[in-house]
Amino acid sequence: MKKTVLGELEELVLLVVAASTEDVYGVPVMEQLHQLTGRNFTISAVHTTLYRLEEKGFLTSSVGGATTERGGRSKRLFSLTAEGGRVLRQIQQMRTRLWDAIPQGKLLLLGL
Amino acid sequence: MFSQPDRPAPPRWAERLLEWFVAPHLLDYVQGDLHETFHKQVVQLGIDRAQRNYVWAVLHCLTPFFAKRQAAGSTQAGPPQAGPRKAKRLSIDYNPNPALTDMLHNYLKIAFRNLLHQKSYSLINLFGLATGLAMALLIIQYVRFELSYENAYPLANRLVRLTTDYMNGGTVDAQDAEVYPPLAAKASQEMNEIANFTRVYPIRKPTATIQISDQYYLVDNVYAVDSSFFSMFNYPLLRGSRNGLFTRPRQAILTKAMALTYFKTLDVVGKTLKIPQRQGRVLLEIVGVIPDSPVNTHLKINMLLSYPTMLSDFGEQEDNWNTNNTYTYVQLADHVSDDGFAKSLAAFTDRLLREKKLNNERVIGQKIGDIHLYSHKTFETEPNGEAQSVYFLLGVAFLVLVSALVNYVNLTTAKSLDRAREIGVRKVVGSTQGQIRTQIVTETVLLNSLAGVLAVGLVAGLRSVFVQMAGLPEGFTVLGDVFFWESVGVFLFISIGLSGFYPAFVLSAFDPVTVLKGNFSRSIKGSWLRKSLVVFQFTITLILLVQLFAVYQQVGFLRNQNLGVTIDHTLVVKAPVGANARPDYGAFRQLLLQQARVKAVSFSGTVPGLGSTQLATTTGINLSDAVKKTYYNYYLTTIDTSFIDLMGIRLLAGKNFDATTRPGFSDTTNRQLIVNEETLRLWGIPRAGEAIGRRVNFWGHQATIRGVVKNYHYESPKAAYISIIHMYSPSFNSFASVKFTGGTAEQQLATLKQIYEARFPHSPFSYFFMDSEYDKQYKADDRFQQVFGALTLFAILISCLGLFGLATFTVSKRTKEIGIRKVIGASTTNLLVLLARDFVGTVLISILIGLPITYVVVNNWLSHYAVRIDLSWWLFATPAGLVLLLVLVSIGGKTIGTALMNPVNSLRSD
Repeated sequence: MKKTVLGELEELVLLVVAASTEDVYGVPVMEQLHQLTGRNFTISAVHTTLYRLEEKGFLTSSVGGATTERGGRSKRLFSLTAEGGRVLRQIQQMRTRLWDAIPQGKLLLLGL
Repeated sequence: MFSQPDRPAPPRWAERLLEWFVAPHLLDYVQGDLHETFHKQVVQLGIDRAQRNYVWAVLHCLTPFFAKRQAAGSTQAGPPQAGPRKAKRLSIDYNPNPALTDMLHNYLKIAFRNLLHQKSYSLINLFGLATGLAMALLIIQYVRFELSYENAYPLANRLVRLTTDYMNGGTVDAQDAEVYPPLAAKASQEMNEIANFTRVYPIRKPTATIQISDQYYLVDNVYAVDSSFFSMFNYPLLRGSRNGLFTRPRQAILTKAMALTYFKTLDVVGKTLKIPQRQGRVLLEIVGVIPDSPVNTHLKINMLLSYPTMLSDFGEQEDNWNTNNTYTYVQLADHVSDDGFAKSLAAFTDRLLREKKLNNERVIGQKIGDIHLYSHKTFETEPNGEAQSVYFLLGVAFLVLVSALVNYVNLTTAKSLDRAREIGVRKVVGSTQGQIRTQIVTETVLLNSLAGVLAVGLVAGLRSVFVQMAGLPEGFTVLGDVFFWESVGVFLFISIGLSGFYPAFVLSAFDPVTVLKGNFSRSIKGSWLRKSLVVFQFTITLILLVQLFAVYQQVGFLRNQNLGVTIDHTLVVKAPVGANARPDYGAFRQLLLQQARVKAVSFSGTVPGLGSTQLATTTGINLSDAVKKTYYNYYLTTIDTSFIDLMGIRLLAGKNFDATTRPGFSDTTNRQLIVNEETLRLWGIPRAGEAIGRRVNFWGHQATIRGVVKNYHYESPKAAYISIIHMYSPSFNSFASVKFTGGTAEQQLATLKQIYEARFPHSPFSYFFMDSEYDKQYKADDRFQQVFGALTLFAILISCLGLFGLATFTVSKRTKEIGIRKVIGASTTNLLVLLARDFVGTVLISILIGLPITYVVVNNWLSHYAVRIDLSWWLFATPAGLVLLLVLVSIGGKTIGTALMNPVNSLRSD
């Protein structure tokens, strides 16, 4: 299998799911994303991404409880799979390597 | 599902859409999330924003991802099994009636393929339909706005404006939008058809000056009205109370915009403002605030004064049958018919004539809804629109649309030959005629829908340009308007109907046996229809083009007319207002004349270019020795000694006013008049020289004709010459015209402004350039010209595109024939003639049909102008030649290419 590439939003969503200690479904993911990035994502974008991650095997899902707020509709709760965790770790390592590759003081010289 | 009637709910239709669209196995979660967000937002943002966001989110869900249906075999309604679904695709069809949707899917697929397969034809059709639709949509919005005047008033079709017709014997000499002040009360007393009335008196045309603390401002649209005004015109009070409103003098009501501009707050009740008068000033108490006038009303308001103020402070009298400067609106009682009221009004006029209140005048009622488009009287509250041009543009827009539909029908039926085989095969394998028809209609629907989307995009893009072009109010919305989307729907429906059915019937009726045997040939009937449609299209194009030429010629002609006055380098400034303004006029003139660049200064009652509505009018003037009294309408103005020279008006006979002349109205025994040629014509004096020294009976006093000037255009040259009587007045009461010898407009303005502001520090400086004031008179023509020009260009473009498509097709069908002809020895010229002959012939026929129609149309249009161009042959020949040229260009490229082609290439394939 060729190496899995995650899009930016996919990565963000995966991280949000991984970071969460409570039940994760569409709405909280959307809200977290908004809080963390300041950008507005639509629910459709969030759902599409969640399902895509599930298809790729990084998330697993189960059917969760309904509330009156939801008009009695059930939630699809997502949780991180081991595969998902591995991918996150890979990404982090890759990023760290890249960060380490930046020559010392270069950013400082740019006034950052 | 729970039903909770008390809780706010998202829009039902959006939910439906979601339920219909989203795959069932995803629906629960998506909808649940949407609801959850919705209820949170109701608390945070309010129900409106929450609903909007909900709809927005639903629309975002309309993607293939959410529409992917679950396998028909697997569990349909419930959630799918948990767990990774790595290789599993979601896109197996699920639907309640597979046969039906499968067919639809298939139809759409084939339709798409057909459109893609014939890219150039699809593009021509798409572009044509989209622009045609966009034009029609924009114009219909414009027309709707023009027709919407006075709709904001719930009583609009009960409100009638009373106006005056000046009669000269049995003919109408002039029409005035205003009437005498006592008319309203008298009419309402004597006619029980009238339920209510209001007098509307304009303060100090064209603008009133108001004073707030020690600052002066010029404000237009200030009227004194009766208290009944508010209920008749449905103005609620935003501030203040209706109790005893406008029954006492010196009460004022501001509009919201005025209050915010001058006081920065709506709480202005109890504050005061002043209106400077010749002697002293009128102190007004603000008693209320009303909403701003709608943009689509003829009676726009900035400030209202109580009518009794008029009587006490502005020299109006309750029983004055001598000056008619009052607009009068009456409200008809319920169950009074228009005819009944007209009859009753005629009887009332007769009584007034008998009582000698009126003299050769007639009171005419007009529905206020008719004012904007149909009323062109003198002293209207604002320049009105023109019903004729509005409907004309509407007609043109539809013709453009029809032209686009013609293209579609033509190209589709022409292409039918190509598709005959496909349809033959379909029939042989068992398609019914109905199925084939459905297939073709699907293609039409698809193409039209795409065109619709494109058209909406075009409308959105062109909106601001169009609003400016058509002179619509700035905030004019198109896309936010429900009616717009309704018209999109209706147009698409019509266009699908017109463009879809004929091809569907033609194509589905092919006999499969003939087609597949290969001896299917072009049907004569079809090509006849096609040709007549092309003729129709080009006739339209030609008519529009000739009309456009005529419009340009006429407007250009008007602009180049000799006005009779020289208007260059002339600035006009309004007379100052304020306490000590009056004694300074002589010094002001001297100061100006000392400036190096100032050539002359003149004070006058009004200036040419402002329009005849600024002049006073009267009918009671006749030569003293006239045998028969006439009742022509004359226009009066005051000028000083330098006016005639400064304006470059030619004195034909007699003398100009000089310093010894006594000012106009003060001299009751020997008034001196300078009249124009038109006045002489009305008096029946044939030569200017004979008029000098003749005596005139002027409102019971004697006056002498001192001079005669050549006719000059007081307003735009569109209008006929009016009879102007000049009297002498040396004072700076209204306008000062300043003629400069040179310098830039900025320099001239700076000079004038500096001196004016030094002399009259408190007065607002209000000026205009004389030539720009004349320019304003062409504004309506300019707009019409622009909108019409744009429409015509699109019509031409669409027609040419259609022809290009047809030519391309025809030529491609005859490639082989041309190859053979070439091999046999036909020259390129021969071939070109052969190929172009058909089209050129068709277009020549449309020129033959179009020219007579055009002649009638143009003639009719020109008859509205007093000064107009002569219809010369080239006015018709040039557009006709142009059309022919366009035809040759649009069929040319392809034709020449084919004629020059090496026959080896076209013949090799067999």
